[in-house]
Amino acid sequence: MTTNNEAKGMNLTLKIWRQKDARDPGGLVEYKVENVSPEMSFLEMLDVLNEQLVAKGQDAVAFDHDCREGICGMCSLMIDGQAHGPDKAATTCQLHMRRYKDGDTITVEPFRAKAFPVVRDLVVDRSAFDRIQQAGGFVSVNTGNARDANGVLIPHETAEKAMDAAACIGCGACVAACPNASAMLFVGAKVSQYALLPQGQPEREKRALAMRAAMDEEGFGHCTNEYECEAACPKEIKVSNIARLNREYLRATLVSE
Amino acid sequence: MPAAEAPAPTAPRCNCRAVEFLESSIGKKIMVALAGLFLCVFLLTHLAGNLILFLGGPAFDRYAQMLESNPLLPLAEGGLVVLFLIHIALAVRARLANMAARPVAYQVYKGKDARTPGSSTMALTGTLVLVFIIIHVATIKFQVGGAKGPDLFGHVTGWFHNPLYAGFYVVALIGVGLHLSHGVQSAFQTLGLNHPRYTPMIKALGAAFAILIALGFLSIPVYFGFIVHAPATPPNGAAMPSGPIGGAQ
Repeated sequence: MTTNNEAKGMNLTLKIWRQKDARDPGGLVEYKVENVSPEMSFLEMLDVLNEQLVAKGQDAVAFDHDCREGICGMCSLMIDGQAHGPDKAATTCQLHMRRYKDGDTITVEPFRAKAFPVVRDLVVDRSAFDRIQQAGGFVSVNTGNARDANGVLIPHETAEKAMDAAACIGCGACVAACPNASAMLFVGAKVSQYALLPQGQPEREKRALAMRAAMDEEGFGHCTNEYECEAACPKEIKVSNIARLNREYLRATLVSE
Repeated sequence: MPAAEAPAPTAPRCNCRAVEFLESSIGKKIMVALAGLFLCVFLLTHLAGNLILFLGGPAFDRYAQMLESNPLLPLAEGGLVVLFLIHIALAVRARLANMAARPVAYQVYKGKDARTPGSSTMALTGTLVLVFIIIHVATIKFQVGGAKGPDLFGHVTGWFHNPLYAGFYVVALIGVGLHLSHGVQSAFQTLGLNHPRYTPMIKALGAAFAILIALGFLSIPVYFGFIVHAPATPPNGAAMPSGPIGGAQ
């Protein structure tokens, strides 16, 4: 830490949720972080905090992260009551400290839902999403020669819509931001990406029924169309995917045998 | 309790598709939406009928007698009760499940401004409307706290002479407007109707419908309660001041 850095570094107060394990009730703990560069990402700022904590012989704050470039869906965090922080269409790792100013107080909590139990501190178990995917978020394809690329015609607009739905990285911000902890945006995106494409048709009804059942089984809430999910989604998944899920489920209920 | 209901979908899919649908999160919402839209149709007809109050006593009483003498009325009333019960029961169950879905609340929750005053108060306005309907039906239809007589116009406008009663109507009807401001467009989304061209139209029409219904109904207690006191004998004058609201439960 040079004096040069200190000159432009920010001093921040962090209120961070600390929780030893799933059974510990947990609570907010206040920390001071000094000398935070505006160039840092939010996660790098937490790295700095952890270095300070470790240097003092304290436990580092546990938080999820992996690619740190907004594509893996691993980072989470509820920052001042907003999933992935204040930016639009960005994950926590894409949030930079230039968003804050010297002297700010920032509250950091884990994503909260019954279906996302806290593992430790800011780390939550989002494997409920994996189980929903395993229930039907796939297409069954027999092995063999690759098909001719243009053998199955798909209108450009349809392909775009399917790709927009497939952009979901499964981070869980939709659940975290939803006042009802509903997973409808996630499931809507996963059902849509296949329902829109010819490859998804053979298992279309089975998928909608199975993924809906898996979603409810995990204990996610009911969608009340408040659209906080869409506003929080780092990949800008549209709520039209929720409408499509409603349609797909209704249709599957009526037509499947 | 929702915790006890949770295992229901876990069980191997029952043969009865309807039960599975009604137990599902999406199915419940679709039923709430459908019942809600039918209730909106009732609101329109009810408003049209009530506005006859402005045409004066004889016209309103003629309308009331015509309605009462229709042999299909009990059927329509029964249907209305069923719609309300479906709408309320499934919405309450969904609400309880939603509360259970986030057992530990956020210390700070801000969101990203997607919620509207209507959307974030649906349970509150829904409860208010339910209390209102109970009082409304008790005092106007069953004439609790008032003398039952052929002069329905005098009975109705008499109630509004009580500022507490008229004031409660005003608050409750603003609640109806808020409830509809989210409910109407939300019902279309729940039914799967979301389209880049039509959704903005549905949202605008939903807001317009909420304003129309709220202002239309509000005109009645405001006019008869606070602007003009129609020359009519109040029903059972002695019970008037505190009777209607306290006595209706």
